[in-house]
Amino acid sequence: MKLPILTIIMTTIFTGTMLTMISSHWLLIWIGLEINMLSIIPILTKNQKPRSTEAATKYFLTQATASMLLMFTIVFNAMHSGQWTTTNIDPNNMIVSLTMIIALTMKLGMTPFHFWVPEVTQGVSLMTGMLLLTWQKLAPISIMMQMFTSINPIILLLIALMSVLVGGWGGLNQTQLRKILAYSSIAHMGWMMAILTFCPSLTMLNLLIYLMLTIIMFTMLNMNTNMTTLTLSNLWNKSPTITMMILISLLSLGGLPPLTGFLPKWIIIQELTKNNNIAMATVMAIMALLNLYFYMRLIYSTSLTLFPTPNNIKMKWQFQPKKRSLFLSPLIILSTLTLPLSPVLSTLN
Amino acid sequence: MALIHKLLNGTCILRKCPKQSTALHPFLSIHFADYCSSSLQKPEAAPGKAFSQRKTEGGLQGHHQKEGALDITSPEETPEISFDKAIRDEMKDHFRRLKDEIVNHWIGPEGRPLHEVLLEKAKVVWQFRGKEDLDKWMVTSDKTIGGRSEVFLKMGKNNQSALLYGTLSTEAPQDGDSSRSGYCAMISRIPRGAFERRMSYDWSNFNTLYLRVRGDGRPWMVNIREDTDLIQRKNQMYSYFMFTRGGPYWQEIKIPFSKFFFSNQGRIRDVQSQLLLDKISSIGFTLADKVDGPFFLEIDFIGVFSDPAHIEEFAYENSPEISPRLFN
Repeated sequence: MKLPILTIIMTTIFTGTMLTMISSHWLLIWIGLEINMLSIIPILTKNQKPRSTEAATKYFLTQATASMLLMFTIVFNAMHSGQWTTTNIDPNNMIVSLTMIIALTMKLGMTPFHFWVPEVTQGVSLMTGMLLLTWQKLAPISIMMQMFTSINPIILLLIALMSVLVGGWGGLNQTQLRKILAYSSIAHMGWMMAILTFCPSLTMLNLLIYLMLTIIMFTMLNMNTNMTTLTLSNLWNKSPTITMMILISLLSLGGLPPLTGFLPKWIIIQELTKNNNIAMATVMAIMALLNLYFYMRLIYSTSLTLFPTPNNIKMKWQFQPKKRSLFLSPLIILSTLTLPLSPVLSTLN
Repeated sequence: MALIHKLLNGTCILRKCPKQSTALHPFLSIHFADYCSSSLQKPEAAPGKAFSQRKTEGGLQGHHQKEGALDITSPEETPEISFDKAIRDEMKDHFRRLKDEIVNHWIGPEGRPLHEVLLEKAKVVWQFRGKEDLDKWMVTSDKTIGGRSEVFLKMGKNNQSALLYGTLSTEAPQDGDSSRSGYCAMISRIPRGAFERRMSYDWSNFNTLYLRVRGDGRPWMVNIREDTDLIQRKNQMYSYFMFTRGGPYWQEIKIPFSKFFFSNQGRIRDVQSQLLLDKISSIGFTLADKVDGPFFLEIDFIGVFSDPAHIEEFAYENSPEISPRLFN
């Protein structure tokens, strides 16, 4: 894609999300979501393959349906309450709160509306998939954080639990890395939404750490264009540094102490327990083990064991990497080694 | 082989007199052509067989050969067809398949442990050792559009191969619309999971297609279709050529997946794209070389393997869209 066109489209994506994040009027929020959705479609179809077209179509259909539902909810809310602000939704109005949750969870790709996430992520390139799983989550989560007092907590907790379950179960026997990261995204969204009604700042914390880890994973996979577990298992031959970083990042994504990824899980479980939701916390912690299991399988074949390679040499010639990886080093440090900073959280509001 | 051809074509065995056909060829287990009544006549057989029969018939686009003994019942026996029992058996079968899928999901990709899948270098996908292997394929020809080609599929000698044979005719159908005709094809059925969901093959660990065939010198085309949900499946396919040598020796054909070119609605497109191997739906062999006459193709097995010497990813980066620097 030519650079000026790419710049315009990227700016539009940025504008759409920013518009949604800074608005408190429902119409502007919806407009921001639509701008965002329409401008990411050409990014999804950047490499002209039938698979990308199919992924873009699936993405468009689900997101358009969610936008339509959201618009219905907005208008219904305006009819009944007479106002358009996000913070004043009547939580007793079942239609509004239920349809709102359905629309936003469809946007986020949470169960039971998660079927598009692995297919769309698999159909596009690695960097576009990264954009899909990171930037596109910001706008719907910002809406949910603005209206979290009006959300029915039972329905949200149910959706969150199902997402964690489906994210863990679905990623189990995948060999395609993009699908693994898509199911990981579904599971993490579940963790984020579980704590939203109790403490939205923990959702923000979880989101930040998840974003950093996902960006790191996609960037590292993109450096050698690894799309399958088999190509990843041959990475030790080409780039041992990336192999080690993938090990640490995946363990952090799985929530293993003493890495940073453990922090959101720990605090979410603590917060759920404080709110007398022990069963939910237990079930979610057990389901997170499924996630950790398939990350461990990836790590086992990539870093912990040396898989047989088709070449005869132990170390391939290492050339200058052509693909830029901005901020990779600070991001890795931030997302893996900052668990000792957790007492800082008590000073934040 | 030619004698058997003549025998089959000459006798015109019809479904109406199944008893005679078994009397004529009781030991050869040759499948008989069913020209006129494959979709019209309901076979009078046991309910379970009725269902499997209907399934195979429903998938036909042209001719399919069935063993004579499968659906033959003597007029005196009237088997009870119990609709409820058939439905119950079908549901049990689907739920059993669903349970297997869930258990296999836990074990690993394709129901095998992950390290097995990752370390696998070669895999036989289709082999022809029995009649149940033939059920995974369907044959079609231009008879569906009014042409005169015929194609049959049967097991070869000693049940060690499958024989695809027939006659190609380029005579165009007289419908005022078609000006060209003459094709025969053998297409694999799309794998189905529980409740007839479409499944697909994941060949992303391999990079070459391997065929052990014995032909008659005719050029065939190998077509691979991907599994898509939205874009119409039958429009898009990836193809490459398979040149057979006539002769008594088996031929081992290796076609790297990077060589397959993309075509949409029967036309090769300028914007070529690589065959992505993670969702393969079906493979097919087509003969359309504009030469009238009989043909045969004997297939031992079809497999995929990973050729470490083949590092090409895609052979056709010559489109201005894909490689603009080449065309500036």
